[in-house]
Amino acid sequence: MRVILVTGANGGLGQAIARSFLNESIENFLWLAVHKNKKAATQLAEAFSDRCAVLNLNVAERSDWEKAVRHILEKTQRIDVLVNNAGQHQDGLLANLDDAAWSGVLSINLDGVFYGCRAVLPAMISQRIGRIINVASLSALLAPAGQANYAAAKAGVVALTQSLAKEVARIGITVNAVCPGYIETEALAGLSAEERRSATSRVPMRRFGRPEEVASAVRFLACSEASYITGSIIKVDGGIF
Amino acid sequence: MEDANALKERIKKMMVDNLMLQMSAEEIGDDLPLFGPGSLGLDSVDALQLVVALDKNFGLKIPDPGAAKEVLQTVNTIVAAVQKKLGTT
Repeated sequence: MRVILVTGANGGLGQAIARSFLNESIENFLWLAVHKNKKAATQLAEAFSDRCAVLNLNVAERSDWEKAVRHILEKTQRIDVLVNNAGQHQDGLLANLDDAAWSGVLSINLDGVFYGCRAVLPAMISQRIGRIINVASLSALLAPAGQANYAAAKAGVVALTQSLAKEVARIGITVNAVCPGYIETEALAGLSAEERRSATSRVPMRRFGRPEEVASAVRFLACSEASYITGSIIKVDGGIF
Repeated sequence: MEDANALKERIKKMMVDNLMLQMSAEEIGDDLPLFGPGSLGLDSVDALQLVVALDKNFGLKIPDPGAAKEVLQTVNTIVAAVQKKLGTT
């Protein structure tokens, strides 16, 4: 059995990642970490009740991580893959950005990844194998106006990914990141028709990505064929650069 | 109950196996510093692996970097910490 923990598992991207692993192999056991909203994750866990379970986890809380990892190890004895997918954005021009919008976004997007990686490392070191995949963002690389907090957090995730990859490579743990561009999830639901047209025109493929296309990259980084890939940043963005 | 010498050899073997050291357990001196100049040459990642291995093999929990610095000085300091945990001193 391969044990996989996906955070932010209630959202569109988290759901696609979880389904991708569930469809990949009946040997995969999925822990769906959710906070506040859990309806979609609960439905998925009910549909795959023999190899899928929901876990309450506020990624920004260190103690939540400690409890969650303890629970996982009690129930499934190991953690093979961690997908740090939970994220949040509160966009606004920096001049108008209040402290809560800054610290809240940094806390969920960057602190959460730090706590998550640190929490699973002892188990992965003990197993001498592990895969960590951090979901960053194209914003980490392009740093658009109006996303100083989100871009800084995601750029931090990219740097954390590469630094940690070097630290644990010799133990058999790989650490990689994916940077999704415009993906059809709830994050884009608030765009007006004009905003969608404008955004689409910036994508060489002239369309937004599907969550499943990001999930495929995540699943690849977790598979045995990706054993020599670590510290890599994979853009899934339809060709924006 | 495991005597001190047997425990020492077991800990040295654990270090060789877990840290993939290019030497035999017998070549590790009991009082050889593990970190720093003139030492066995371990680094912080090795320290992390040792902390995990000591917990897994002996139930010895090293809760913070300060405690790790105390325990992970030499093989002898590790042996002392494990003996204390096992109640064999």
